[in-house]
Amino acid sequence: MTNTSADEELLEFQNISVSFDTPQGEVQAVRDVSLSLKKGEILCVVGESGCGKTVLCKSAMKLLPKNASIKSGRVIVCGEDITDFKEKKMRKLRGSVFSMVFQDPMTTLNPTIPIGKQITEAIKKHEKISSDEARARAVEMLDMVGISDAQKRFGLQPHFFSGGMRQRCVLAVALATNPKILFADEATTALDVTVEEKILKLLLDIRARTGVGIVFISHDLGAVARIADRVAVMYAGKVVEIGTAEDIYYDPRHPYTWGLLSSLPALAAKDKKLKSIPGMPPSLLDPPPGDAFAVRNEYALAIDYEEMPPMFDISETHKAATWLLDKRAPKVVRPELYGRRSNDG
Amino acid sequence: MKAKRITKKIIKRAILFVVSMFILSIVVFLLARIAPGDPLVAFYGDGIETMSEAELAAARTRLGLDDNLFIQYFKWLGNAFQGDFGLSLKYKQSVGKVVMPLLGNTLILGVIAYAVVFVIAILLGTVAALHEDDLLDKIICKVGTASYYIPTFWLGVVLVLIFSVNLGWFPSSGAYDVGKQADIGNRLHHMVLPLIVMIASHFWYYAYMFRNKLLDEFRKDYVLLAKAKGLSRRKIVWKHCLRNIAPTIVSIMAISIPHVISGTVMVEAVFGYPGIGNLAVESAKYHDYNLLMVTVLLTGAFVFIASFAAQTINEEIDPRMKVAKEIKW
Repeated sequence: MTNTSADEELLEFQNISVSFDTPQGEVQAVRDVSLSLKKGEILCVVGESGCGKTVLCKSAMKLLPKNASIKSGRVIVCGEDITDFKEKKMRKLRGSVFSMVFQDPMTTLNPTIPIGKQITEAIKKHEKISSDEARARAVEMLDMVGISDAQKRFGLQPHFFSGGMRQRCVLAVALATNPKILFADEATTALDVTVEEKILKLLLDIRARTGVGIVFISHDLGAVARIADRVAVMYAGKVVEIGTAEDIYYDPRHPYTWGLLSSLPALAAKDKKLKSIPGMPPSLLDPPPGDAFAVRNEYALAIDYEEMPPMFDISETHKAATWLLDKRAPKVVRPELYGRRSNDG
Repeated sequence: MKAKRITKKIIKRAILFVVSMFILSIVVFLLARIAPGDPLVAFYGDGIETMSEAELAAARTRLGLDDNLFIQYFKWLGNAFQGDFGLSLKYKQSVGKVVMPLLGNTLILGVIAYAVVFVIAILLGTVAALHEDDLLDKIICKVGTASYYIPTFWLGVVLVLIFSVNLGWFPSSGAYDVGKQADIGNRLHHMVLPLIVMIASHFWYYAYMFRNKLLDEFRKDYVLLAKAKGLSRRKIVWKHCLRNIAPTIVSIMAISIPHVISGTVMVEAVFGYPGIGNLAVESAKYHDYNLLMVTVLLTGAFVFIASFAAQTINEEIDPRMKVAKEIKW
């Protein structure tokens, strides 16, 4: 990874591989992924379903099911190697150092416990403060995430809230103990677009206020474009391209990223059929030896089927894993990705 | 506002209760009389063989058994409303006198067994769920399943053989020694073996149900959020999951009342414990119509009351069942 001063790094994945033991065999959900997150940064991880985005984040918090394990690599949080931490130590970190919000706000809150209590529970777990103080903090949190009348709503159960409000409450629960890192696992996917917009704004606002580093997992490239500082594109358990938002949206290099961007309905040409990437991702039970994307890639080279491409540096911030970037590769002109451009041409 | 709503609900359920009892009484009354067999056999015993047709007919008229079924039923109903449930054909006493002392015996046995079964079931289910797939969970599951499939009558006989015949620790039958009816210690002493049998044959069914319910609950998303904020598995199970399945537990406890009552019938038979379970079996066997009506209606009343109570309690426990406008702003 490109290194700035080490103390700024909140989170670092070093060559992490995560596997699930299943009756069918070992599923390699995450394969040799290296990523880092700085203070106050929003890193977006994009990719299609099952590419390992969520598993990656859960492996940092050790919230994976029992049959999953980190096969190799290290997870470093705030300069501390937590790869071998046991459950008891992890419990201290969860909530206080990192926290997570999930996809479906309708189910991530306990339906029978008042919202306020679900927040104070988190605060009391990590700090020794009185119930009144905890309550005041919880009301403050609800206020911060944009729940009006927080005092009165403190005692209401989740079913009194709409989906967007619930997601705000989930954020309040996750942020109540001032974590340094927030994992947002598809946090806006289940929401209506207008509500999504508000939640994205809220995330930006919270980042500005608290300096929390956010790992935002999504397959919605529109949402990602709004908030990302950096974007990592994942495919079949690997990071195939990573760069600043500008790098990824204006100068993508990996054919998979091209495919993703050109299949965005919002950006496609109005008079043309929407492009899609043919085929399905490979089974991670037995991933292919070469580039996992090769079979779906119209630009695939012979070597793609035999050898895994390494990460090629494009600039200081931008890297991609495709043999097209090798010196010996034939020159490939990037296809037109966005509708407006193809209209001009 | 709240009190008024609850009163209204209770009145509604009370009406439903009366209607249910009424229907139950009709069904039992008709079924008992349609079933083949002669109640006079119970009344006269072996003496019936020496009686003439005319004497039998006279006896039938005297006992009101020769009327039209519907007339018989309405006569019974009229008397029942005045508190007279008729004469037991076998015991030749009023039904109330036969049932009352035995009812107490059964209630004591049933209530204690019921309470212990559920305390054990909830604790064991929770412990097993906390240690899912660990050695402890596996041991609990194996032992529990084995205990559930030991036949009640066999276990009863084996316990009597060991603890009464060989060791002489506990009496083998009865509910109390003669003259010690009010001695609680003596009663408990008699109750130990029946209780063990009842608990052993019932607890696992519920413990396993609660274990699986808890595990289902534990796979829900809110548990992930609770974990993400740093709570331990133990705390999540006790404070979040158990609370959320409380309505299920209450419902299951209510539905299980007939199950446990039927358990007392079995145990009463094995240990010669004088209770209404035994009585109900006998009354059906001897076509003791009036006695049968009372034992069945009593059992039915327990079941109805328990399930109505469970419903009312559930609505109070689970805030989702409340109406939004009641929340004060």
